[in-house]
Amino acid sequence: MKINFILMKINITKYISRIFLVGVLLFGSGCSKFLDEQDPSNLTPDNFYKIPEHAEAAIAAVYSSSRFMGDGAGIFSSNWQLLEAVTGTSTTETAQNSDLNNLYGLVYDSNTGHVINYWNGIYRVIAQANLVLDNVPGITPMDEAQKKRILGEARFLRAWAYFYAVRLWGDVPLITKSQTLESEDFFPKRASVESVYALIVEDLIAAENAGLPWMNKNGRVTLAAAKSELAIVYLTMAGQPLNKGASHYKLAADKANEVITYAKANPASIDLFPTYAEVHKETLKNEKEHIFMLQYNSVVAGNPMDNMYPNFKPVTFNGASGTGSTVPTLEFYNSYETGDLRAKDREGYFYSSYFTNGNGALFQLGAPYIFKHFNTIANGSSGVAGTRNNNLNVPVIRYAEILLVYAEAQNEVGGPTSDAYDAFKRIRDRAQLVTPAMGTYNQSTFREAVWRERWHELCYEQITWFDMVRLRKVFNETTKGFDNFVGHVNQSSDQPLQSKHLLFPIPRPEMQNNPNLTPQNPGYQ
Amino acid sequence: MLCLTGFQSLAHSADYKKISSGMGSVAFFQTQKIIVTGTVVDENSRPIPGVGIKSLKTNKSAVTSASGKFSIEVENANEQLTFSYIGYASQTRAAGSGTSPLTIKMVPAEGVELEDVVVIGYGTSKKSDLTGAVGTVKAEQLQERPASSLNQALTGRISGVQVNTNSGRPGGRANVRIRGFSSINSSNNPLYVVDGVQLPMGNQAQASQAIDYINPNDIISVEVLKDASSTAIYGSRGANGVILVTTKRGKTGESKIDYNVDFSVPTVGPNFPKVLNAKEFLAVEDLAYKNMEKYDPAGWAAGKYVTRNPALARKDPRLFDGSGNPYFDTNWLEEATQHKLSQNHELGFSGGNERTTYSFSVGHRNDQGLIKTSFLKRYSGRFSIDDQVKTWLKVGGTLSYTNQNENLVDQSDQVARSIVEDFPFLPVQYSDGKYADNRDYPNAEGRFNVVHRLNDTKFLLGTQTTLGSLYSNIKFVEGLEMKTIIGANIISQENNEYSGRTLNISDQGYAAGRTRKEAFWSIENFLTYNKRFNENHSITGLLGISWQKSNFNNISSEVRGFATDYFEFNNLGAGSLNPQVGSNKSSQALNSYFGRINYSLKDKYLFTATGRADGSSKFGKNNKYAFFPSAAIAWRVSEEDFLKDSKVISNLKLRSSFGVTGNSEIPPYSSLSLLSSNFGAVINDVRVVGTGINRLANLDLRWEKTTQSDVGVELGMFGGKISLELDLYYRKTTDMLLDAPVPRTSGYVTIRKNIGSMENKGIEAALNTTNFDSENFTWKTSFNISLNRNKILSLATPADIFGIGGPNFTNPTNIIRVGEAAGSFWGLTRLGVWSEAERAEAAKFVSYRNGNTILPGDIKYLDVNGDHAINDADRSIIGNGSPDAWGALSNNFRYKNLDLTVELQYSVGADVMDMTTHSSEDRQSLANSYATVLNAWTPQNQNTQIAEIRDTRAGYVTNVDTHWIKDGSFIRGRNVLLGYTFANSVVQKMRLNRLRVYVSAQNLFLITSKELQGDPETTPTGGYANDGNNVFSQGMNWHSYPRPTIFMLGLNIGL
Repeated sequence: MKINFILMKINITKYISRIFLVGVLLFGSGCSKFLDEQDPSNLTPDNFYKIPEHAEAAIAAVYSSSRFMGDGAGIFSSNWQLLEAVTGTSTTETAQNSDLNNLYGLVYDSNTGHVINYWNGIYRVIAQANLVLDNVPGITPMDEAQKKRILGEARFLRAWAYFYAVRLWGDVPLITKSQTLESEDFFPKRASVESVYALIVEDLIAAENAGLPWMNKNGRVTLAAAKSELAIVYLTMAGQPLNKGASHYKLAADKANEVITYAKANPASIDLFPTYAEVHKETLKNEKEHIFMLQYNSVVAGNPMDNMYPNFKPVTFNGASGTGSTVPTLEFYNSYETGDLRAKDREGYFYSSYFTNGNGALFQLGAPYIFKHFNTIANGSSGVAGTRNNNLNVPVIRYAEILLVYAEAQNEVGGPTSDAYDAFKRIRDRAQLVTPAMGTYNQSTFREAVWRERWHELCYEQITWFDMVRLRKVFNETTKGFDNFVGHVNQSSDQPLQSKHLLFPIPRPEMQNNPNLTPQNPGYQ
Repeated sequence: MLCLTGFQSLAHSADYKKISSGMGSVAFFQTQKIIVTGTVVDENSRPIPGVGIKSLKTNKSAVTSASGKFSIEVENANEQLTFSYIGYASQTRAAGSGTSPLTIKMVPAEGVELEDVVVIGYGTSKKSDLTGAVGTVKAEQLQERPASSLNQALTGRISGVQVNTNSGRPGGRANVRIRGFSSINSSNNPLYVVDGVQLPMGNQAQASQAIDYINPNDIISVEVLKDASSTAIYGSRGANGVILVTTKRGKTGESKIDYNVDFSVPTVGPNFPKVLNAKEFLAVEDLAYKNMEKYDPAGWAAGKYVTRNPALARKDPRLFDGSGNPYFDTNWLEEATQHKLSQNHELGFSGGNERTTYSFSVGHRNDQGLIKTSFLKRYSGRFSIDDQVKTWLKVGGTLSYTNQNENLVDQSDQVARSIVEDFPFLPVQYSDGKYADNRDYPNAEGRFNVVHRLNDTKFLLGTQTTLGSLYSNIKFVEGLEMKTIIGANIISQENNEYSGRTLNISDQGYAAGRTRKEAFWSIENFLTYNKRFNENHSITGLLGISWQKSNFNNISSEVRGFATDYFEFNNLGAGSLNPQVGSNKSSQALNSYFGRINYSLKDKYLFTATGRADGSSKFGKNNKYAFFPSAAIAWRVSEEDFLKDSKVISNLKLRSSFGVTGNSEIPPYSSLSLLSSNFGAVINDVRVVGTGINRLANLDLRWEKTTQSDVGVELGMFGGKISLELDLYYRKTTDMLLDAPVPRTSGYVTIRKNIGSMENKGIEAALNTTNFDSENFTWKTSFNISLNRNKILSLATPADIFGIGGPNFTNPTNIIRVGEAAGSFWGLTRLGVWSEAERAEAAKFVSYRNGNTILPGDIKYLDVNGDHAINDADRSIIGNGSPDAWGALSNNFRYKNLDLTVELQYSVGADVMDMTTHSSEDRQSLANSYATVLNAWTPQNQNTQIAEIRDTRAGYVTNVDTHWIKDGSFIRGRNVLLGYTFANSVVQKMRLNRLRVYVSAQNLFLITSKELQGDPETTPTGGYANDGNNVFSQGMNWHSYPRPTIFMLGLNIGL
C-alpha cells in the first residue's frame, strides 16, 4: 500500500519504528471483508423458497397484497372509490380529495390517484403470485397436496387481479413470470384483451383442479370461489368488449349452476343469509353467502369502508368522525321498489338513523347512508357498546351474485327457465318483494329485471361499474329502465358518460416509465 | 507560510481573554547558542499567554506562558522569529543577542483577521493561506444568542448556509442547507465533524441528528467548508458541505473557572394567525347553515340538513344560556401556552502547564417550551486533556456525555392545529372537570381540545450520547508528524409514547416503547509534512487512511387497550389489545485513503490539490471504491509589489477551486436484492407473516457525484476596517441516487439507481466593516447575503416525481420536474370567486363541488385548457419554498463598557404554501376558522378570494391553489442584546477575572407580507416531519409549533 511505502521511507528514527509497527498492524491488514454487506433484517431470494413454510409465507404475501383496494387514496378516500364514484349511484359530502372529485365529475385523467393505485395494486398482486408460481414448485421435499393447493390459490389470485386489469384498461401487459431487471418483459407491451382472458380462464381452471375445499372459514381461496369467479368471467366475456355471446353465457350458466347445485345439496355450507344484517356481521366471515372475501382484522388492517360513514356524525363509538365521501344519491335510494326490505332503515343495506356514538340515543341522520359495510359489533348497537375493532371483511363474491349470474346467463341461453326464475326470485324474496309470476316475463323483460336486481342487490360492492361496462347499459333511477352507457347522465354529477369512459386511462407515470406501453386508451392523454 | 501545526491546539484553546499581571523577571543564560527570552503583550500592554514563537530557520518553537513570557533557543542574533496569535497580526523580528529580554507588542488584526487560524479537514490553516471557501463562527458569536443546538445557533452566520429553524419547540429541529440542494433521495444535510471525528448521519429518532446532542457551549469554533477544494478531503460524504466543530480545550496558564448562566422566558411570537371569537364563530355558523339552501337546494328540500340547524346544537346548558348565547369565549392560544422560566447553567474549569492542559465542564439546561408540557432538559459533561508526553509525542483526548430528555408535543400536528380549530365557546373543562372538546358539539369534526391533548399525551424522547476521541501526535522529524484519532460516538435513544383512553378512543389508550442505538467508531491515521525550502517555496503535505463503521439497531413495541391511564408507557404488559413488536438492525462501513498537497510560491501564489478514495459498504459489488479529486489556486494580490504599500487595500486575494465530492447517504443494503417479510396477511382471523416483493438488485450502485467550481475574492481595506468575501459557485450533481421508478407491471416500485442530475449556482458575500472606532465607542457591522438557484437537469424517466414534500392532502403539493427547481409547489390558479354576473359561465363547469352546480360564491379557478373541467390538466407550478436571497445584518455598538448587538435575519423571494388555508379558510363550521373568513364572498362583497361561507356538507371547494401561496419574504429581529462588561478595576476587587451581564430578546419582531399568517420559516409537523418528506417541504405551513419571542437575562463570570 502507498501509505506503508511512504512510512517506510521516512522511518529513520529508531524509537519511531515501534510505533510505526503498531500502526501497520492496526491499519494495514484485515480489511478485505470490511465493506461486504449482508442485511440481517431482510431475506434475499437466495436464502428463501427452501422449505414448505416458505411457500406458506409466499402465498400469505399474495393475500396481503390483495387488500390494495382498501388502501388510502389521499385524504378522505380509499382506492375502492374508483369503482363507486363513476357509477352515479353515490356522491360525496366532502370536497377534500380532488382526485375523488374528478372521479365523481367524470373528469378523471391518467394522473388520478385512484387509477394509478389500482394499476399498481393489481400488478403487485400479480407479481407476488408469480413469485409463488415460479419458486414454490422447486421446494422439495414438500407435501404435494399442500404444494398444489398453494399454487392453485396463487393462480386464482393472479386471475382475480388480471380480471380487474382487463376490465379497467382493456389491453394490458401480461406478465406471468417474476421479474428482474434482465427480464424480457420488464418493459412490456400491451397484450390483447383476448389473451388476458385466456390466462384468466386457464388460471381459474387450474385453481378449480387444485384440490381446494368447497368452502373454508379461514378465508383462503376455495373451490366455490374458483367456480364462481369463472362463472363471472364467462358472463363478462359473453358481453362487451369480447362479445362471445351464447357460448359463454352457457359456460357462465353452467359454472354458476355447479355452485348452486352444491349449495342446494349443502345449504349449511353455501346459502343466502336469511337477513341482511348477517351479510355484514363480522362473526359470519367466509361462510354461507360469502364465497370469497378480502380478509380484514384490526390486528393487521381494519375494515376499509369507513368512508361510507356520514360526514362527522356520531354513528360509531368514535364520535363524529366519518368523511361521507361515499354516500348514496337520493335518486338511487329512491329507486328501490316500495317495501323493499333492502331500503329499510337499519334492516337492509341503508340506514338513516343511528345510535349516538354507536349505542346511545337514536338520532336522525337526515339522509340515507350505506349500511351494507357497517359493523354493528365494532361500532355499537342499541345499548351495546362497540368492540372498537372493525374486523369486518370486504365481500368480493356473494352467493347472491352467483344466483343472479345464473339467472342472467341462463336467460340469455334460452329465455327465462324456472331455475333462472327461482334464482332471481330468491333475491327478491329476501327483500320481501312480490315477484310477478314467471309467465309474465319474456326474455327481454326478465333480462332487465335481473339487471335491476343486480343494481339493487350488489350496489356499493365495486360490481356495478363492471356491469355498466359489459352491458353498455346503465340503470336509470327515474325511469327504472336502462339507458345506453354513452349518453347516460350520472345523477351524482349531472355529467353524461362518454364512450371513452368504457376504459380508464393507463396511468401517466407508468406510460412515462415504460415507453413500450402505448397507445393510451382513446380519449385520454 | 507554513501552518503552525505545533501550536494548533494551543492556538485554538478555550479562551482568548488576556490576563493582567506585571512583567516577571527575565532569565538569561549565556551559552554557545543564544537563549532569547521576553514577554509578549497586547495592544494594552497586557501579557498574552499562548502566543506561538517560531524560528524560521530552525523551525524551533515555543509558546508564551500564562504571564506572557517565553524563552527560545536560537543560533544567532539575526535569526528571524515569528510571533503568532489568533486575532493579531503576526510579527517577525530578529532574535537579537539575547542580552536583554524582548518585549513584543502584538497589534490586533482587525476585521480581516488575516492571521486567524481556521480548522480545515485534517488540519488547520491560516486564513490567509486558504485556497477554498470556508466560513467561521466563533464562540463569542454563538454566545450572543445561546441556543440548545448548534444548528439553531448558526442561523444567518455564514453566507451560503441556509439555516431554517422550523419549530419553536426547545430543541426544535433546524434545516441546514449549504449552497442549496444536491440530492433528491439521499440526504441534503451537511457532514458534521467534531474534533476530527465524523458524526454518523440519519438514523436518529424524529429526524434529529447527532449534532443536536452536542452542547453548543462546549464549542470554541465552527468552520463551514463550502467549496470542493475544502470538502473533497471528505470524499463521499462531502457533497452537502462539511461543518467542522472544534470544542474547547484547556490552555497553558493560570487555571480558570467560567460560569455562564442564562434565564429566559418564552412568550407568543409575532404574526400568530387570528381566529374567530365565540360571537364571530356562531355568526359564521348561522350563516353557513343558512347558505346550505343555496348550495344544495335539492338536499335542503329533501330535509337532509334539518338536523344541522345550529339552534338545535346550542342546547347544552353547560355552554349556552336559554337563548343560545355562549357562556365562554376562550382564547385557546392563551390556554395552550405557558411562560415558564427556563434556565441554562454552564460551569467550566480549564488550565494547564507547558506540558499538560485540561478542561472540563458541566452543563445543565432546562427549557420550558412556549406550549404547555413541552420541555427540553439536558445534562452534559465534558472532559479534555492534552499532554506533551515527549518532545516528539503528544497525546490527548476528549470525552463528553449528554443526557437529553424532551417532550415532543409537535410530534403530532394536532396540538398546534387545535389551538386554531378549538371552538372559542368551549371552556377548557366543564365544571365537573371533564374536558370540553369540539366533538361534544353536534356534527363538528371530532377534535379534542388542545389542553386535553397536551395533558393526556406524552411523546418523550430520551437521548444519551457518548462522544469520545483519543489522539496521538508523533513528530518524526521537524515538519513531519503523524496524527492518529480514534473516535467513538454512541447514541442511545428511548422514545416513550402514550395517549390516554379519552383521546385514543378506538384503541382505548395507546402506549409504545422504542429504543434505538447507533454505535459509531472510526480510526483515522494521517501524516502531515510541513517544509519551507527557502523564501520562495513551501509545501504542506497530508496523507491519510481511515476506517469508519456504524452499527444500528432498534426495537419497538406498542400496545393498546388499557383499563387505566395510570401506567402510561411504563407497563406495556397492562395493555390488552393488538400488541405489536418490531426490530431492525443494520451496519455500514467506510474505508478511505486521502491526501492533500499545499504549495506556496513566494507566499503569493497558493496551490492546493486534494484527493480521497472512498470505499463504502452501501454500494454495489461492482463499484465499491471511488475517487474524489479537487484542485485550487489562490493569488494574494496584495502581496505583490504594486499593492504592498497601498493605503487603501490591505488584503486582496483571488482564489478558485474545482473538484468532485460525493454523497453516499442512502440506507444500507440498497444495492441488494431483498425480500420483505413485512406483509401481514389475515388468515383464519389471525396475523400471518408473508414474505414477498421488496427491492431489485443494482450491483452497479455507487455515489452521487457533485462537481463544484468556485471563484472567490477576499478584500480587506483600510487596514481591515472593511473586509469583503465574495464567492461565485456552480455545483452540478450527476449520477444522482434516485429511486428510479420502474414499470409497476414488474411488481416493484423503484430501483435505486445513479441517474439524473441537478445544478445549483449561486453568489454569496459577507461584508464586515468597522464604521467607527475610538476608545469609548465602536460600531461594527456585518452583513451577508446568499443567492442560490436550483434546477433539475435530468431524471430517470420523463415522469414527474410527486409524493414529496407534504402533507399531500387534497392533491400533490410538490413536484420534481426537469427544468424546474426541486420541490416546486404544484397546484391550481385561483382567480377569485365567481361573481353574480358570471353565473351562467360558472354553471358551464363540470362540478368540482360535490356534484352540485358551480355558483356565484364558489371559488373560480383558471381553466388552463378551456375544457370547463378543473382537474390535473389545470395544475402548474405555482411557487417554490427556496428563497432568492437570504442572509443577515448585524450591528454591534460598544460605548465604554456597554455593548448593543442588533441582529436581523432576512429572506427574500421564498414562497410559503399555507396548507392551513384548507382547513381554516376554505371550509367552515366543522371547526373554528381564521378571522379571514369574515371577508368571505357575499353578494355585497364579490371582490374577494374567499368563497361564500356555507356548511361544508352542502358542498365546498378546496384545492391546493395560488391563494394558498403567500410571499414568504421577511425581516426578523433575530436578536437584540444589551450587555455590560464590568471594568477590570471593579472585577478585580471582586476577585474575578471577568463579569458580564446581558439581556436579550430573540425573535422580537417580524416584518412580512400582510397576507401571510404565521411564521414564514416553517415545515409541516406531525407525521409529515420525517426527513424524507421534509427535504422539499421548506416553506410549507401545516401547523408547526409557534415560534416564541424569548426574553433572556444572562451572566458570565470568569475567575
